[in-house]
Amino acid sequence: MANFKQHGMLPATTHDEASRQEFVSALRGHLSGRLMPGNYRVFHERVEPAFKARTGRNPESEHEVRELMTKNPFYQFWSAMQRRSQEMLWESVIDPTERQLPELIDKARKLGARPLPGKRKGTLRLDPKLEVPRYHTAADIHLQPGGYHTDFTADDIAAGAIYDKGINLYMGGGLGEENNLTGDTLVAYIRKAHPDFAPRSILDMGCAIGNSSVVWAREFPKARVHGLDVGAPILRYAHARAQALGVAVDFSQQNAEHTDFPDGSFDLVVSHIVLHETSKSALVRVLAESRRLLRPGGLMLHLEIPRGRTHMQKFMFNWEAYNNNETFSRYMTDLDLRGEALKAGFAPDQVRVDQFTPELDDTQKNYGDEFFWNILVGRR
Amino acid sequence: MSSPADPVKQPPTRPKGHRPVVFDDPAIDQLHAAYVTLATELAVAFERIDTLERLLERHAGVTREEIEGFEADGAVAESRATRRTDLAQRLLRPFREFREDQIARAEHARSAPVRAPDEP
Repeated sequence: MANFKQHGMLPATTHDEASRQEFVSALRGHLSGRLMPGNYRVFHERVEPAFKARTGRNPESEHEVRELMTKNPFYQFWSAMQRRSQEMLWESVIDPTERQLPELIDKARKLGARPLPGKRKGTLRLDPKLEVPRYHTAADIHLQPGGYHTDFTADDIAAGAIYDKGINLYMGGGLGEENNLTGDTLVAYIRKAHPDFAPRSILDMGCAIGNSSVVWAREFPKARVHGLDVGAPILRYAHARAQALGVAVDFSQQNAEHTDFPDGSFDLVVSHIVLHETSKSALVRVLAESRRLLRPGGLMLHLEIPRGRTHMQKFMFNWEAYNNNETFSRYMTDLDLRGEALKAGFAPDQVRVDQFTPELDDTQKNYGDEFFWNILVGRR
Repeated sequence: MSSPADPVKQPPTRPKGHRPVVFDDPAIDQLHAAYVTLATELAVAFERIDTLERLLERHAGVTREEIEGFEADGAVAESRATRRTDLAQRLLRPFREFREDQIARAEHARSAPVRAPDEP
């Protein structure tokens, strides 16, 4: 597939499987690039004026916008299409993964044990007793069947293989050839805002398949990089994938709300669009844990997507919450991220939210020119 | 809790969680989903035909008359039948899932204890 680098752990595809994936990816690109903006036009040119003519005022809340837009035929069509494309995305990746699963598991075992030339190899530490938090088990995040955390066979890696290819299709290739966009974004930020910062120990919270962990390990080759997540199959895959790419990362199955690392273990604690997949109560605990794990002078960077300024934008951003199993992400709307960090123990002069747009090549930009990332920055 | 791996457990083909109904009539949701699937399978078929045509072109020797006059028999007919069934199953998947939802809801309703109106 265009703009995606084959590595040792990706399942092969038949002719038709590849075509199916390519089409879903193209359809999603069309939906987000061409069809989705139509919702704003429909709202501003039809729905809102009609509401104003009837009531003498504009809609005054996200809820009011929702009441109006979910009855609009254009929105209904787009929403159904978006939902179905998300389901088909996983279906198109599950088929080849399940077909080759025994071989993939065998590959993962071999890659995991293989020494890396000239450097120490990465490690994997699983905890079968770990309680997977409710924000993972209540519904399968992003509609990935089984979620990131369920083992269906011994040494399962399916969730990771499905996620790797799935998120590539999700963004129509926009995440980069190794799903490196979010890692690259934080690296670009640190290079700009803290050019002299040279971390020796880095923790990637909610690392999933370690796509960003690998970016950090390559960027700071002298640093020891840890990636943690609650899902066993996704971490087994992350470990094998990093090994296949020749990058040493130490993965462990832990909850970012309370890890087993000693105080002050890390120079840098990062996460990449993870916070909105947790819950309002978990968020403060994750931030407090980030603070505990930083050594004095250490840096915390949590990358997040903005949640919209207008009622209509908030409604559209929350499509994912109602339709794509980002079940708890609604709490992020209007949430004062900096205020949550203060609750977690950061001093007022230690924490801020930066808006950031990295300069990327055009193939990585499938979002509008007005797009920016939010970065919650904390210092210890 | 992440449970120990059970080799007989089948991986799910559907995500856990509520599936929203978008249109006023849920039947339109089903039709719409099937229509998107159909478009995908059409794209898959087009791409395969394109591959074939390009290979035929490259290696030559095949005429349009031959293609028009081709008769599928034996193993070819069988493989085409399997392919048709596969398409039908993909196409009907949203209806099947809709039916599963209806059954699950009905079973849920049945499993609730029935009480007389004056019972606490």
